[in-house]
Amino acid sequence: MSGPVERVGAAALDRLRAARDLWRLYVSTIAGLGRALARRRDHAGPPRGELGRQMFHIGNRSLGFVIVTLGFIGMVVTFEACLQLSRVTGDYSTVGGQMIRLVISDFGPTLTAMMLATRVGAGIAAELGSMKVTEQIDALRMSGVLPVDYLIVPRFIASVLMTVVLTVIGTLVMYGAGGLTAWRSFAVNPSLYFDISLVRPRHVAIGVLKAVAFGAAIPIVAGFCGLRARGSSEGVGWATTAAVVGSSFAVIALDFVISAAALWVTGGDL
Amino acid sequence: MSALVLTHVTKRYGTRLVLDDISLELARGARLGLIGPAASGKSVLLKLVAGLEQPDAGTITVLGDTITRPHVREVDLGELRKRIGMLFQSYALFDFLDVAGNVAFPLEQRGGIPAAEIAERVAARLRAVGLAGSERKLVGELSGGMKKRTGIARATVADAELVLYDEPTAGLDPVTTQKIYDLLAADQQRTGASVLAVSSDVAALAELVDEIAFLYRGKIVYRGPARSIRDAPDPLVRQFVRGELDGPLTEAIG
Repeated sequence: MSGPVERVGAAALDRLRAARDLWRLYVSTIAGLGRALARRRDHAGPPRGELGRQMFHIGNRSLGFVIVTLGFIGMVVTFEACLQLSRVTGDYSTVGGQMIRLVISDFGPTLTAMMLATRVGAGIAAELGSMKVTEQIDALRMSGVLPVDYLIVPRFIASVLMTVVLTVIGTLVMYGAGGLTAWRSFAVNPSLYFDISLVRPRHVAIGVLKAVAFGAAIPIVAGFCGLRARGSSEGVGWATTAAVVGSSFAVIALDFVISAAALWVTGGDL
Repeated sequence: MSALVLTHVTKRYGTRLVLDDISLELARGARLGLIGPAASGKSVLLKLVAGLEQPDAGTITVLGDTITRPHVREVDLGELRKRIGMLFQSYALFDFLDVAGNVAFPLEQRGGIPAAEIAERVAARLRAVGLAGSERKLVGELSGGMKKRTGIARATVADAELVLYDEPTAGLDPVTTQKIYDLLAADQQRTGASVLAVSSDVAALAELVDEIAFLYRGKIVYRGPARSIRDAPDPLVRQFVRGELDGPLTEAIG
């Protein structure tokens, strides 16, 4: 019978091992990318068209979800901002300028990635978890296939590319929906709202960097959870839940780290 | 050269000792059956031989290559595994492929084999296992017996040098069981592959293999000719094979 200290220690060790294995999966995926680039066309690897299929699943199938969600959030955020301004100064001239900076460098990539973490992360974990508990992953290995190369690498590439694309679309929708709300609810002149003169290249760079980092993190965390599934359907359910929680947390943590790093690099002049 | 050498192999899951200091050798072209009570470590032993799991102690050499760490990493095992065929107890068929796609998979992953040759070999294998005409069926449309036969076709399509069978006939009716064992025996005759098979159907297994080893509480307690397994000198083995209620096995299990 183990005491409370042993149980806490065992749990801590378990977390440390999981962090180490997650890091190893990330390194293996980068190595797998290299192998995919070096692979001859007639040699082993994922089936032809797999990258396109994954881009369709991650990108096209998430498009409506991202547009609706970010559109509504853009409306709510702009409405709240205008409402507060109307109570204090009544000057709406900076709403559009501040909104676009915030949406490009923070809200756009982060909210898009949060949506993908739930939809795509759950899908990847459930698919890979199901393959794990039915020994299909072992069958892949017995055919001389590295599961990371076959399953994770195409999802990783597709996720990075489509997260950037969806972030651009989500940012435009969020900003546009905010402009519509400001115009209809507070009579803010659209030419005043859609003034992008405050946007600097560094805002775009931070937004793209975040989108790439989030797009890379989601399939790694979700794939990791799927490949750790044990037992039967209960194990797949656990893996799916862990993937949604883990990839959402990864998005928030990376957002914090990249934002802090950007502040440090620019000396606070964002 | 041996097809398989296990030297002082031990495997634990948590505090449970599954395999305890196992040493085993299988000559090239030889056929060995593994029997034993449930949860005696038979499937774990097969997974260790395939390199799907790593032992906690001891070394394993398969077809001349040592597959235990620190000698190899997962990325190094790919080429060796292409020389091994494995039939999984739960079939482990790819549900994103049809029957022909499943059987073709090991050949496609080898690389360098023309598509026409792959199609020809897949068709021949499916004919051999009695699945001609089912090429385009998805895994979900297959019965248990058809899944098992698809798994056998996939395990043997690449003419592996070592074939591992995990319960090849579990859950099948006696007629299908006999058909599958005839098929496995004919296939082994054709390729000369070494065979390591785990099965609970001792009578049918004895038709396929030359020798049978009895795994009990993590140790191989008996290894002898398959034909005379019912008269093995070890009372544990005799009771298990004959399915008798009274004997040392019952007393040990309680």
